[in-house]
Amino acid sequence: MDSQHLNPSSLKSRFTARFLRALIKINAQKPISSSSPREIFQRYRRIKVAADKSMAYSVRSRRTWSRATLWKLRSQSRRRLASSGRRSSIKTRTTTTTTITTTSTNHRAAIVEKTSHEKENKEDHVGLAVQAEELRELVPGGESMDLCNLLDETAHYIKCLTTQVQVMKKIANLYSLE
Amino acid sequence: MADFSEQSYRQPFPFLDIDPTMESLTQFAELNPQSFILDNSAFNFQTFFPLSINDSLFSNQASQGETMSGFIHNSNQSSVSAQPIFSAKTEVEEISNKRKALDILESSSGNSSSSSPQVSETGIKRRNNSGRGKRAKSNEKEMEKPKEVVHVRARRGQATDSHSLAERVRRGKINERLRCLQDIVPGCYKTMGMALMLDEIINYVQSLQNQVEFLSMKLTAASTYYDFNSESDAMERMQRGKAEEAKELERLMREGYVGIGGVACFHSSSTYGPL
Repeated sequence: MDSQHLNPSSLKSRFTARFLRALIKINAQKPISSSSPREIFQRYRRIKVAADKSMAYSVRSRRTWSRATLWKLRSQSRRRLASSGRRSSIKTRTTTTTTITTTSTNHRAAIVEKTSHEKENKEDHVGLAVQAEELRELVPGGESMDLCNLLDETAHYIKCLTTQVQVMKKIANLYSLE
Repeated sequence: MADFSEQSYRQPFPFLDIDPTMESLTQFAELNPQSFILDNSAFNFQTFFPLSINDSLFSNQASQGETMSGFIHNSNQSSVSAQPIFSAKTEVEEISNKRKALDILESSSGNSSSSSPQVSETGIKRRNNSGRGKRAKSNEKEMEKPKEVVHVRARRGQATDSHSLAERVRRGKINERLRCLQDIVPGCYKTMGMALMLDEIINYVQSLQNQVEFLSMKLTAASTYYDFNSESDAMERMQRGKAEEAKELERLMREGYVGIGGVACFHSSSTYGPL
C-alpha cells in the first residue's frame, strides 16, 4: 500500500495538497444540481484558476513566471470584486476571456506576418528573435527577460506544467472510477 | 667510414620514425645541410606536417618559432620543398577557414628574416592570452583540438574587443540552456538547429497549456455529474487505486474536510484506518 512514499516537500505533493483543497472548496460552494452552461463555465474557470494559482503558490515567488501568474490572477480577482453584482461580474469575466482570446489570436496573426516578413530581416547574431517573442508570449512574465533567462524560466515552467498535468490526470481518473 | 655509417643510420630515422617533433627535424636539417637531403626531407615533411601540427606546434611555442624559422630558412633554399609545405599548411587553413593566419604564414615564409620575430610574437601573444581568465579556457580547448590552432590566432584579434567576448560568453550560455531544454522536451534531436529546437519547445509548452485547460474542463464535468450516493463505493475504489492522490484525499477527508462529493464522510473514512 505504502509502496510509493511522497516527499512531503516536493513540488508535486505541495501542488496536490493545495489543488485538492481548492477543489473541495469549489465543490462545496456550488450546488451540483445546477447545470446551466453559464454555471458550468464559471466552475470551469474557477477550477482552472485554482489549478494555476495552486501551482504558482507551490513555487512561491522564486521564479519570475510564478510571480507574474500570481499578480495576474490577483488583478483579475480584484477586477471581478470591483464590478458590482454577480451578473456584471460574469459578463466582465466572459468579456475578459473573449478579449483575451481575441488579443491572443491577433497576436498570433501578427506574429505569423512578422515571421514571414521579418525572418529575413531580423537576423541577430543568434537569429532567434522571432521565436523568442513567441516564447515570451507563452511563458508568463517573459516579456522583460533576455533570451538566456527566458530559457531558464521555460525549463522550470515546463517542469511545473508537467507535474500539474500529471496530478490533474490522476484526479480526473479518480473521478472516472465511479 | 664510421661517420658515413653513422650518417646513413641517422638519415633513415627521421623518415621512418614518425616522431613529429620539429626539433628532431631541425636537428636532422642541421646534420645534413645538403640540398638533396633537404629535398628528401621536404617530401617527408609533407606527411610529417599534419602530425607535427597535431602535437608539436603547441608544446613549445618559442622553440617552435625558432625551429620553424630555421626550417623555413632551409626550405627557401630549394623552391621545390617550399611549395609542398605551403600546400600542407594551406590545407590545414582551408579546413579551418582562417585567412589571417595564411597571410601571417605566407609573410613569415616570404621574409625569412622577419619570420622569427613574427612567430615569436605569436608565441608571446598566445601566452598573454592564456593569462586572461575566460580566454584561458577556450585556448586550452583549442590546444586539445589541433586543427583549430588557426582559430586561436584569428580569434586573438577579436578577443581584445570586449563586446565580442561578452557575445561569445552569452552564446555559450544560451547553448547550454538549450541543451538542458533538449533533454526535457521530447522530440528534440541534437541535429536540429537552434531555431527548430525553439519551435519544438514552443509547441510543447502550448500543448501542455492546452492539456491543463482540457483537464480542468474534464474535472468540471466530472464534479458536476458526481453522484453523492456512491460515496462509499468511491472510497473503496480509491483505496484500491495506487494513486498517491488517493492517499492525499484520504488524509484530507480524515481531517474532517467535506468530501469531494460534498457530503461529510469522515466517519466512514475513519473505519479504514491508516494507509
